[in-house]
Amino acid sequence: MADEDDKRNSRVPAVSGAPPKLGRRDLLMGLSTVPALGLFGYAWNRQQQYRRGREAAAAATPAAAAGLQEINVALLGAGAQGQVLMEAMLRIPGLRFRAVCDIWTEYNLRRVVNTLKRFKQEPNGYADYREMLDKEKELDAVIVATPDFWHARHATDALKAGKHVYCEKEMSNTLEGARSMVLAQRETGKLLQIGHQRRSNPRYIHCYQKLLGEAKLLGRIVTVNGQWNRAVAPDLGAPDRYAIPEATLKQYGFKDMHQFRNWRWYKGLGGGPIVDLGSHQIDIYNWFLGAPPSGVMASGGLLYYDPKTHEWHDTVMVMYDYDTPVGPAKAYYQTQTTNGSQGYYESFMGDQGTLLISESELNYAGQLYRDPNAPAWDEWIQKGYVSAPKEQEAKEQTGSGAIADVRESVAPDQHTVPVSLRDPYHQPHLQNFFDTIRGKATLNCPAEIGYESAVSVLKVNEAIEAKSRLSFKPEDFKV
Amino acid sequence: MMQATTFERAPMIAITALRVLVGWHFLYEGLAKLTAPSWTAAGYLKQAKGPLAESFRWLATRPDMLATADLMTMWGLTIVGACLILGLFTRLASLAGIGFILLFYLAAPPLIGYFYAIPSEGSYLIVNKNLVEAAALVVILLTGSGRFAGLDRIVHGLISRRPRLAAA
Repeated sequence: MADEDDKRNSRVPAVSGAPPKLGRRDLLMGLSTVPALGLFGYAWNRQQQYRRGREAAAAATPAAAAGLQEINVALLGAGAQGQVLMEAMLRIPGLRFRAVCDIWTEYNLRRVVNTLKRFKQEPNGYADYREMLDKEKELDAVIVATPDFWHARHATDALKAGKHVYCEKEMSNTLEGARSMVLAQRETGKLLQIGHQRRSNPRYIHCYQKLLGEAKLLGRIVTVNGQWNRAVAPDLGAPDRYAIPEATLKQYGFKDMHQFRNWRWYKGLGGGPIVDLGSHQIDIYNWFLGAPPSGVMASGGLLYYDPKTHEWHDTVMVMYDYDTPVGPAKAYYQTQTTNGSQGYYESFMGDQGTLLISESELNYAGQLYRDPNAPAWDEWIQKGYVSAPKEQEAKEQTGSGAIADVRESVAPDQHTVPVSLRDPYHQPHLQNFFDTIRGKATLNCPAEIGYESAVSVLKVNEAIEAKSRLSFKPEDFKV
Repeated sequence: MMQATTFERAPMIAITALRVLVGWHFLYEGLAKLTAPSWTAAGYLKQAKGPLAESFRWLATRPDMLATADLMTMWGLTIVGACLILGLFTRLASLAGIGFILLFYLAAPPLIGYFYAIPSEGSYLIVNKNLVEAAALVVILLTGSGRFAGLDRIVHGLISRRPRLAAA
């Protein structure tokens, strides 16, 4: 019986009549796993050092080590896009977050300020951007990531307060707004970078400078095709207890909390998917073709969502005419709201080859096709401009049993763009902005280029209403 | 009448090692999330499958509750991890750990006919490493390894010197 008791209680330290002492052995055994925590701390520390080292190396312009001029920044607009920019900026050395401003003080503002504090930044939080501009005298730059219809006011006021400005695209929801930003930039002489971040993406720069510019791998580009297919999604919501007071919402131009959260869908506030998504890619059309468009036709409509809460077109198909320096070209673009299959990309077809590129390298590796009749690319492969061609699999191995008709052209060689971006998409564009502030670069997307894109894209919604082809005059793109 | 504790030495050392390893994993999972700029469980929750999928997805759509769930996960994993390594409040930490892991398991159970977009590093049928880790915590919970080697031994030693426990 006593034996059984012993077994049953063997897990419990014994307590006999006299209280047991805490012996030396108990202390040793008690502390025996503490060194494991020390070991963890050591491993953690090493790992953090390694991570920081890699980030610094990735972000580093050669001069980025010591003696870097610190730039004081403020984030104006701390919503989803503001947070994307903040994360990218936290990887860029030499930045000091002085302030964050958002009217959703109880949620966005608090969240971002708290996150920044974890990264040893001490930003002041503001609900009113004017108060921020008045009080934060040391600011060098303001990052604007507010809804489109606020961009013009926020950017021009910040420029006039003597700050450099990085403003998210679309530059503005109106041409007057975009124009006022260009003028304010010229008047103040401060920098204004528009957030078409592909302009600083090393993959796109490589394509533009090396593949299209120097090697002219595509020959003459005649047609362009691009898309952003996005899955349907429920409206963004907000918990009642975090709701912004109605008076504040009205003051900032929102009807209610739903409109505040889903402003992209409302006329007068945003521009719908063609502006949110298409603007990035149509900007690349202009860039790679070397000219803004000369005409546009478009069809669009609200095919899926409830028109009460979604005023802009959820589906848009656009056709642009271009008069490029080397001849006419046509470009097609679509954004639709069904599902996300085939994602987003831009495809340029020339008389010698095709480039299909996407910001998302995971989904599109940057395929390059050389037409069998085009001059060989060996020189460019040797220079490392394009990858060596993928060996074409024999037809028998495809398993489809399909047979090429004798009149079909031979399948072209398949190459890829050998440059990768290993950082968040927006980091190089922000880096370019800060490098320019330090006088070590020039802006990749200054106000004038942002304006050209805005003119090209905002016209699409007009063309849908007009149901006919609208022309651009060259002076439309100038301020 | 209780007798002096007798721990089987070799098994208890093994279980203590197990406890330290599980704790290490928890601690790193927690700290990695805490130090990521804005980690959130939203992505994981949105992909939830299985009997509780609806609830998990609902949670992902509520920013306020999601923020609380994120905080609880980040700090919970960290604290449980540190306690397991140190052998401090081992039973409570084991229970909390089991709770966390079962939630993770239930959000993405490898049941027959379920396919996950995010590839896992192994192949699982009903049992995955989450479940194995939960089972390991059950062993740790039931064997009281903190009182064999861990701060619990000291804590318990201090408490049990009090007369009211001595009278038990």
